[in-house]
Amino acid sequence: MSHPDEELLADLALGADLEVSPQARDHVSGCPVCQSTVQDLRRTLALAAHAESPPTWSQPPDRVWSRIEDAVGAQPTTPPGAASEAPDPTAPAPVTTLESRRTPRSSRRVLPWAAGMAAAGLAIGLLGGRALWHDPPPAPATTIAQAQLDTLDTKRPRGEASVVRSGSGINLKISTTAPLEAGSGFLEVWLINKDGKRMVSIGVLRSGEAELLPITQALIDQGYVIVDVSREAFDNKPQHSGDSLVRGTLRI
Amino acid sequence: MNHLGPELREDELAGLLAAGSPDALSDAYRRWSPLVHTIALRSLRDPHDAEDVTQQVFVSAWNGRHTLRPDQGSLVAWLVGITKHRIADVRTQRYRAHRNLTAVAAHTTTHASSPHDEECAERLLVAHELERMGDPRGTVLRMAFIEDRPHEEIATQLGLPLGTVKSHVRRGLIHLRTRLKEVEDVSS
Repeated sequence: MSHPDEELLADLALGADLEVSPQARDHVSGCPVCQSTVQDLRRTLALAAHAESPPTWSQPPDRVWSRIEDAVGAQPTTPPGAASEAPDPTAPAPVTTLESRRTPRSSRRVLPWAAGMAAAGLAIGLLGGRALWHDPPPAPATTIAQAQLDTLDTKRPRGEASVVRSGSGINLKISTTAPLEAGSGFLEVWLINKDGKRMVSIGVLRSGEAELLPITQALIDQGYVIVDVSREAFDNKPQHSGDSLVRGTLRI
Repeated sequence: MNHLGPELREDELAGLLAAGSPDALSDAYRRWSPLVHTIALRSLRDPHDAEDVTQQVFVSAWNGRHTLRPDQGSLVAWLVGITKHRIADVRTQRYRAHRNLTAVAAHTTTHASSPHDEECAERLLVAHELERMGDPRGTVLRMAFIEDRPHEEIATQLGLPLGTVKSHVRRGLIHLRTRLKEVEDVSS
């Protein structure tokens, strides 16, 4: 069958399994994509359970907005060469009309660059170029740490974990020599702190494939260097099951 | 600060920002600077750093507005994603400074923040989304998720059919997960 509706996956995440047909449950138990969605929904639920209600927001002081105005106002305009990034010039430019209509109403000083923008008639991407999160430019992936993953009981090597830095960030790469058995549940990857007291869940491992899971440098810096893959049941318990299949310590 | 009006939907505001409207930037600041600033303050626990991050986020948003794709994600998630980047930058700087200090002092006191902080941005985004969700869904979700009350009890108390409560809970959960996923896409 095709992937069940997301609302059914939400029911599974909420622990309302009986609302879901046995066929759909069968599909989910064998489908890494659906399992990963259910896992995401459970994490969302765990986050929501700890959300403040009502939250206390801290307003930034007024000087922050003034500094933003100064910073964006001081920028140079784009040289004509950046026109390849420009939107279709035949498209309507609502910005201009909005701006000219609203400026008189503004009680604060007019942004120095607003006039220029209106005159140009088009909002050409000022600093034209790369996507914000592609900065710095993509570099070849480099491995910054590695660990051999051994079974806990017999210490047999079953694969390898490595921390790989690429243009898009840092990932933990897990590859196993043979698929790990998820049984009726799923495989979850953890980073355990070398203090042995703290751990964080990094993501779900689809069995049989090399997997890249995003992590942060801060985790490694804080001592989360022990890679652990556990077998988890669909039991609505976000914590580690205690059933570790393989483990290894990253050497940096 | 100009206001484009409260009636403007988030995707419309995103479209205006992407097109380069300064009003859209000030409106985005008015709506989301408390969220951005609170995330920065809780993550970094330093008012000066939090102000810097808030400033950088909106300047980055302006500079990167042509990369904003309103059809591929929400503006708020995009801003939270940028906030996480800037916080990570400050942490990296702090770590380097700390490492250099400890190298000199030859003793190690762990100054690193607790792992709980890693989810600070996500928790506050969820709180923000719950707060601005219309009723009855907002109330249903707060009672179900935060107060952990059974759906039957929520239905009785709010005078809603049980099926309606369950449907709000499901769709609300999916909505929150979508927002978090968008943040992940920006931060990765």
